[in-house]
Amino acid sequence: MLEQTGFVDVSVGPPCDTFGEASGEKKARQFGVYGYAFLARKPS
Amino acid sequence: MSAELPVDPKALREEVKSKYREVACNPHGEFHFHTGRRAAARLGYDPAVLESLPDVAVESFAGVANPFSLRTLRPGEKVVDVGSGAGFDCFIAAAQVGPSGSVLGIDMLPEMLEKARASAKRMGLTNVEFREGLIEDMPVENGWADVVISNGVINLCADKKRAFEEIWRVLRPGGHLQFADIANGKPVPASAVRNIDLWTA
Repeated sequence: MLEQTGFVDVSVGPPCDTFGEASGEKKARQFGVYGYAFLARKPS
Repeated sequence: MSAELPVDPKALREEVKSKYREVACNPHGEFHFHTGRRAAARLGYDPAVLESLPDVAVESFAGVANPFSLRTLRPGEKVVDVGSGAGFDCFIAAAQVGPSGSVLGIDMLPEMLEKARASAKRMGLTNVEFREGLIEDMPVENGWADVVISNGVINLCADKKRAFEEIWRVLRPGGHLQFADIANGKPVPASAVRNIDLWTA
C-alpha cells in the first residue's frame, strides 16, 4: 500500500515481539502478529 | 460505510477512543499490550533517553515497535507524529531534531492531548506542539513535514489508503515516512476482520 500511494525506497525492520509476555500474546501468536519499523520516502 | 472497508470507520474510531482513553487516564491498568517504560524498553528505545523522561511522559506509551530504529531524525527537521497519544515519541523526536526543528503531534483524544501538553510544559519543550485531529484529515498544511512518524496507529485505521494519502499530502517532496506498526504473518479469517471488537482486543 505504501508503494501504491507513491512512496519509494521502502524498507522494513526486523520483527519485534510486541505482545510477548502481555495478555495479548496468545492471540498474537495465533496470527503471527509482530511489530515492525517501516521507512519510506516521498520522491523529490 | 464504504463497501470496500471491512468495518465502519466511525464505529472503529469510537472503539479505539474508548480503549486509549483508558490508557491515558489509567496507564497502569490491565491491557492486552505493554505500556510505559516496560513497553519502550522492550521495543528497543535508548535506555538513557528513557531515563531522562519523567514518568508522566512515558506511562501512557503504547507503541508497537521503534519508528526511530531505521532512521534517526536530523537537526532542524519538521516532524508530524500521527496519533501522538501522550506525546512519548514526540519527546524523543524533539530531542533528535533539536531547538531548530519542530514536532507536531496529532491525536483525536482530548485526554491524550491534555497529558501531552502538560508533559511538554513540564519539560520546558518549546519545539513541540499538539493539535486535535484525525489521521484521515490532519490539521497540517500541504508539504509542511520533512518527516512523518507514527507508532501503532495505522493498523487501527479502517481506511488505510486514505491514511497514507493524507500522510503523503503533509510530507514535502523528498520527505520521509518512518513508522512502526503491527502486521500479521498468518491469514486472519474474513469474519474476524469484520469483527470490530477484535481490532482493539
